[in-house]
Amino acid sequence: MTAMAVSATISSGRVQLVNVRQRLLLIAKLRVLWVLAMFTVIAFAAIIRIAWLGIGQSAPSNRSMAEALLPPRGEIVDRNGTPLARAFPAYSLWFNPKALGGGAALVKTPQEVAAALVRIFPDENYEKLVARLSSDRPSYLRRRIMPEDANRIHAMGEPALEFPRENERYYPQGSMAAHVLGYVGADGVGRVGMEQVFNKQLTDAATRGQPAVLSLDTRVQGALEDELGRGMAESNAIGAAGIVLDVDTGEVLALASLPSFNPNLIDEAGAANIFNRVSNQVYELGSTFKPITVAAAIDAGVITDMAHRWPAGAPLKIDNFQIHDHENFGSSLNVPEALIHSSNVVTAQIGDKLGGVRLRQTMMSLGFNERPYIELPAKGFPLWPKGEWARITTMTVSFGHGIAVTPLHLASAYSALVNGGIWRPATLQKLGPGHIPEGRRVFTASTSARMRQLLRMIVVDGTGRKANAVGFRVGGKTGSAEKPGAHGYSRTSLVATFAAAFPMDHPRYVIIAMLDEPKGTVATSGQRTAAWNAAPVVGRLVPRIGPLLGIMPDDSRDVDISDLSPLVANGNGE
Amino acid sequence: MIVTRSRMRSIGWAVILAVCGALTLALTFRVNAVKSQVRLAERQIVRAEQDKSLLETEFETRANQQQLTALNQVEFGYQAPTAQQYLENERQLAALSKPRSVDAPEPIMVATANDRPEKSALVAMVNPLTGSAMAAEVPAGGARRGTGSAGLGDRLSGNDRLSAPVAGKKVAVE
Repeated sequence: MTAMAVSATISSGRVQLVNVRQRLLLIAKLRVLWVLAMFTVIAFAAIIRIAWLGIGQSAPSNRSMAEALLPPRGEIVDRNGTPLARAFPAYSLWFNPKALGGGAALVKTPQEVAAALVRIFPDENYEKLVARLSSDRPSYLRRRIMPEDANRIHAMGEPALEFPRENERYYPQGSMAAHVLGYVGADGVGRVGMEQVFNKQLTDAATRGQPAVLSLDTRVQGALEDELGRGMAESNAIGAAGIVLDVDTGEVLALASLPSFNPNLIDEAGAANIFNRVSNQVYELGSTFKPITVAAAIDAGVITDMAHRWPAGAPLKIDNFQIHDHENFGSSLNVPEALIHSSNVVTAQIGDKLGGVRLRQTMMSLGFNERPYIELPAKGFPLWPKGEWARITTMTVSFGHGIAVTPLHLASAYSALVNGGIWRPATLQKLGPGHIPEGRRVFTASTSARMRQLLRMIVVDGTGRKANAVGFRVGGKTGSAEKPGAHGYSRTSLVATFAAAFPMDHPRYVIIAMLDEPKGTVATSGQRTAAWNAAPVVGRLVPRIGPLLGIMPDDSRDVDISDLSPLVANGNGE
Repeated sequence: MIVTRSRMRSIGWAVILAVCGALTLALTFRVNAVKSQVRLAERQIVRAEQDKSLLETEFETRANQQQLTALNQVEFGYQAPTAQQYLENERQLAALSKPRSVDAPEPIMVATANDRPEKSALVAMVNPLTGSAMAAEVPAGGARRGTGSAGLGDRLSGNDRLSAPVAGKKVAVE
């Protein structure tokens, strides 16, 4: 009985245990199921999320390599690919007062920080810096700083001084060719030069990947600016202008207006020099016009005989005016002598015989009655005598007075004078072989050939002797014109110009060198005229640029002047 | 367990499907890996290009024309070469050290406006680094090169004239 009872107790206990076990198992299974369900839901949610990201969301912005390499503003390069202007990621110095998250903006006092900044940038104003560092407004402290300066500022340990990298326009050649290039304003729009002309092309995403190619040659430009600067310093002139122009294409290889400005830093002093003397300022270019008059007269059949002598001894009286030479070269001169000695009297007679209509027509064919042809936005309008030219107007224009054009006009005209008689517009863009403009014929080829001889003779025997670079066969004409002032022509201020071409046996390049108000100095032997200041500039420039442009000096080669040289009596007239 | 033929086939298909799926997955991973490698390489190229442009700009700035002129004036004093330092052709080379005879005329060639540059056996001034001509304006037919195997005698007698096939027949080119 007891055993039975015990057994019953045990068995009932076992049954209970079994029940408990089963329940526990069930619970465990359920929990496992729950966990599984949870993982399934999470996995499902993750898959849905991945699918959503893959389908619905935009892909992470992966800039392609082409996009990343596309500059924010296109490069400008010279004809040989040397960069003249490019986008440059530069450091700027930015003051962020919120960098420390409220409270004082700086770790040290503004005075200490300002003093440290002045030590790095000595041109900064201490008081202004203190005021800006004390205010709670974020601002630029400097627009452009050097990497080593950025390192020194970083070493100061001021989190409020940040130097974000910003894309700036940078001109590696400094102030060189500044008037051609121009600059980019803070608003990102190009100003003044080709930056303004090419603004659309340089900013358009489709075209800015390709650099804009100029016709300039950096080396020629550098040499021209250097020699003009030297000429300007030697003659104490207030300004200078120069051009090197390809006579066969009209491409400008160098164009300089001094004093220049630095497009990397436009300040007040620089802004005053932005004015371009080559394309914007008109000058009475004086005697450099005489070859043009002579060429027009040869073309028109007015000069048929180079040996014909024109009266020259006395001043020429026309109405109330008197035309005189700066020196008496004898009672009569022929055309080569008149050009060699730069006789106003003879040229005025040639102009008079040619007549106002024909001279005016020639000047118009050379584009002297309109703004110069070039891409630059700043183009000066010539002072052009209106209406029918009076007799005295014709005579003064024939030797370059009473008409004012830009040096660029003169360069294009001299190209036509020596290249066989074809006038072409000047351009600052590099021209491919098929894109050279046809131009228009101004002089006949034979006249052009005659002018090459005459221009060469002026340099061999005449006023241009100091431009005679040995072996380069330079030809050209000096011009020293008095500047018109409020009370007629000023006797003291001149514009000295030398218009040249080389090599004269097959002209390739025209050079204009012009000095504004040169003074007589020791370096110019006390003289103010072009023969002593502008001609030597060309004489020094040609040997520097000739070999670069593929013209090797050769003193066994020259233009044939044997038919004209007997007409000149020892270079001293009769 | 008896596996029927049709069941075997479906298992086979399933296995093939699974293998294909696994291969596709592996290929996708591989493609993506290569793609990201390419992207990385592109990023490196961009960085290298930017570095290059930065260094080039720095070089151009330090070696700009004004700096070079100033350096030349202070340090070197180099001047433009004169006519005596150039030899244009063989004739000048041959006459280089020959004294001029007493009654010889001035050696001036006049009115020689030849459009085409003369063919010369002299090698043009060539940059040893780039191999391109140093002068900016290279003649239309490229930089002048030596005529190679032709001996001096051939050149002097004119036997080495370049001949180029034009329209099927050989035409001598001056």
